[in-house]
Amino acid sequence: MLFSSIPFLYYFLPCVILLYLIAPKMLKNTVLLLASLVFYAWGEPKYVVLMVATVLLGYVLGLLIERFQGKKLSKFFLILSLAIDLGFLAYFKYADFFITNFNAVTGLSVELLNIALPVGISFYTFQILSYTVDVYRGDVKAQRNPINLATYIALFPQLIAGPIVRYSDIALQLDERTHSFEKIAQGTRRFIIGLGKKILIADMFAGFCSTFLASNDKSVVFFWLYAIAYSLQIYFDFSGYSDMAIGLGKMFGFDFLENFNYPFISGSITEFWRRWHMSLGTWFRDYVYIPLGGNRVSKWRGIFNIFVVWMLTGFWHGASWNFVLWGLFFGILLLIEKLWLLKYLKKAKVWNHFYVLILIIFSFVLFASVDLGDLATNVKGMIGLGGVPFISAETIYYLRSYAIIFILAIIGATPLVKKVAIAVQNSKIGSKILAVAEPIGLAVLLLVMTGYLVDGSFSPFLYFRF
Amino acid sequence: MTNKVKNITVTCFMAVILFGLAFWTWFKPADDFSTSERRPLDQFPELSWNTIFHEDSEKTFMKTFESYTLDQFPLRDTFRTLKSIASFYVFGNKDNNNIYIEDGYAAQLEYPIKEDSLDYAAGKFKEAAKYFGANANMYFSIVPDKGYFLAEQNGYLSMDYEQFFSLMADKMDFAEYIDITGELALEDYYKTDTHWRQEKILDVAKKLAEGMGVTLVSEYTEKTLDNPFYGVYYGQSALPLPAEDMKYLTNDILENCTVYSYEDGKNIDVYDMEKAYGKDPYEMYLSGNLTAVKITNPNAITDKELVIFRDSFGASLSPLLIEAYSEIIILDIRYASIAVINSYRDNNGRAMALDLRTADDVLFIYSSLVLNNSSTLR
Repeated sequence: MLFSSIPFLYYFLPCVILLYLIAPKMLKNTVLLLASLVFYAWGEPKYVVLMVATVLLGYVLGLLIERFQGKKLSKFFLILSLAIDLGFLAYFKYADFFITNFNAVTGLSVELLNIALPVGISFYTFQILSYTVDVYRGDVKAQRNPINLATYIALFPQLIAGPIVRYSDIALQLDERTHSFEKIAQGTRRFIIGLGKKILIADMFAGFCSTFLASNDKSVVFFWLYAIAYSLQIYFDFSGYSDMAIGLGKMFGFDFLENFNYPFISGSITEFWRRWHMSLGTWFRDYVYIPLGGNRVSKWRGIFNIFVVWMLTGFWHGASWNFVLWGLFFGILLLIEKLWLLKYLKKAKVWNHFYVLILIIFSFVLFASVDLGDLATNVKGMIGLGGVPFISAETIYYLRSYAIIFILAIIGATPLVKKVAIAVQNSKIGSKILAVAEPIGLAVLLLVMTGYLVDGSFSPFLYFRF
Repeated sequence: MTNKVKNITVTCFMAVILFGLAFWTWFKPADDFSTSERRPLDQFPELSWNTIFHEDSEKTFMKTFESYTLDQFPLRDTFRTLKSIASFYVFGNKDNNNIYIEDGYAAQLEYPIKEDSLDYAAGKFKEAAKYFGANANMYFSIVPDKGYFLAEQNGYLSMDYEQFFSLMADKMDFAEYIDITGELALEDYYKTDTHWRQEKILDVAKKLAEGMGVTLVSEYTEKTLDNPFYGVYYGQSALPLPAEDMKYLTNDILENCTVYSYEDGKNIDVYDMEKAYGKDPYEMYLSGNLTAVKITNPNAITDKELVIFRDSFGASLSPLLIEAYSEIIILDIRYASIAVINSYRDNNGRAMALDLRTADDVLFIYSSLVLNNSSTLR
């Protein structure tokens, strides 16, 4: 089920809120768990079994890892947990990728499995792994209550597109959390803003990108607009989803960590990855990079570690070579920055931002490319070697039609609006105006977005496929 | 204090909207038909094991339920209007769902030229032409859509219409092209609809008649329907556009003509007053989308017979040509292939049999919208 859909907004969510409100404290997690299973089953009924099995395994193995803490069996159960969870992920997400490449290398024709990807498997697998690894390390206690653990893993706000919530971050909240008008209002505000990012910006750019791809009247400018639009689409789609997840979490008393922090204002790629999909970056840092030795190893081993982490980061995004290349592209950039460029970037004030934006836009062209031929076509188009004119009638039309969306998105990708809102809130008159304007503004925004949904302006979240 | 009040207000506002609309949509009786979009609305889907686990993901209960919720949402048209207003006037989109408004006229973006579609249409027309005698004169004309007058001049994406006409004329090498663009202007079209106004196309009829070697001299009386007309773009644009008057032309010649529907095997009226007050008033002309209709003119001064292959533009045009012919057979191959239509030559209990072989003139007249999206032709 999509957050940006009528069934979610006007059927599922009101029902869950009502049930949650009337449920006694001891049953609130059960309500959330059952709601989450319905939420998941809505898109993938048959894969609920897989998710429940994964959760139960995580529960049992967590207890066993803790039971044999400090003994070899503990490690055995951890490895078993890793093998099973990563095995499921490999089978459901990567099997056909491996078979395709095996066939290409050997010339054999092993039949593809054509398995439908269970929605959100990459996210909930990483959450379970973080739990069992943290229990093994002794960072958290194993959860005795299976409902609580299942609620943590299946919690619908972050189930299918993150952020990747660490068990350690919400372990206490699973037992004890507070509810207040302040939290509900914060959550509502955050949810509506996230919904707006998705419906009013990301989906609009999705339309723009589809138009570009279908166009027979491309131009150099059109290639650039596409690249920019796609980059903004990914950002607003994904950060919008994270906003909605964080907002929904707050409504039910949870505090999830932030997942985005205005990545496009970064002055280096290193900084970009500290601001972009932070929950994934820190997951790979804590569960792959540091266990491999991090940077406390020889120079060459350190370089190897960086490439492993970034190849896996790319591969996590999808079973396709373009994602692997995308990850390695960042691995190379981060290495260059680490070894040489970062000190210059830190001193720079302007050019470093252009450097980041150009590389990020290029990276998303790579991200969007179906294959290397497609990538070459897009890059050639952008640098004027694609045999297309500099500008075309179609480019001008769509530029005019989407100009306001581009401007809003570019402004929205910076902290400007947030800073202005805080400044207004902190002034005496401003806070009074906001007290009236904000509820009205949010209500109007929700109604307009409902109009967009009713009109059928609808596209699935991009990050579902990861 | 202000913050606390604000938080409570935000929570209450959202709760009212969320639960208000939720309860409304849960308990609202389902509507059957959308007048503005002229289509039936989805009803509550079947809930069963089979529909939940349906192999085709597009046919699962969950998917069809989603369509149902979109179709049955309370104040649906108002919400669509809200979206259109936001799209046009807040986000500055030049079009909404490919519909744009300029000079008070709603029009559809028709771009680019789809040559495959032109090939397909020409192929279908060639196939149809084989059903006529060797002496039949073949003519061909194109009705430009409103974009011809509006798009390029106002910065919208526009086909190269001259190239479009030229390409189509080349592909229709078995028929003589009659250019009617000089007889048309934007004002000849409805503001909220795709179609032209019958009362404005007498010049077009005369030009076509002249091209086919006959003459039209009759005068007509203009009649106005007493119900407001909202065209198809009114629903698609979802903007509060004003209603229009719908008119039709009549005279003694037309009133004495008989009209026969081969599909129904019965006589009908030139202007179907039931449809004039129905869901799509433009269907009043020759009862809309009938596959084969014959108008017989008992007062004809010649015994010439004309066959017209047409879309809905041709339905309002055809009666204006009858003056010069003893009969006109009007065929619509969007709903039945020429082979199926030709089978009407066997009476099968019908009062009349269809005979295409005696036609003197054959006119293919289609709008650029149909030609550029011709997959509907059979």
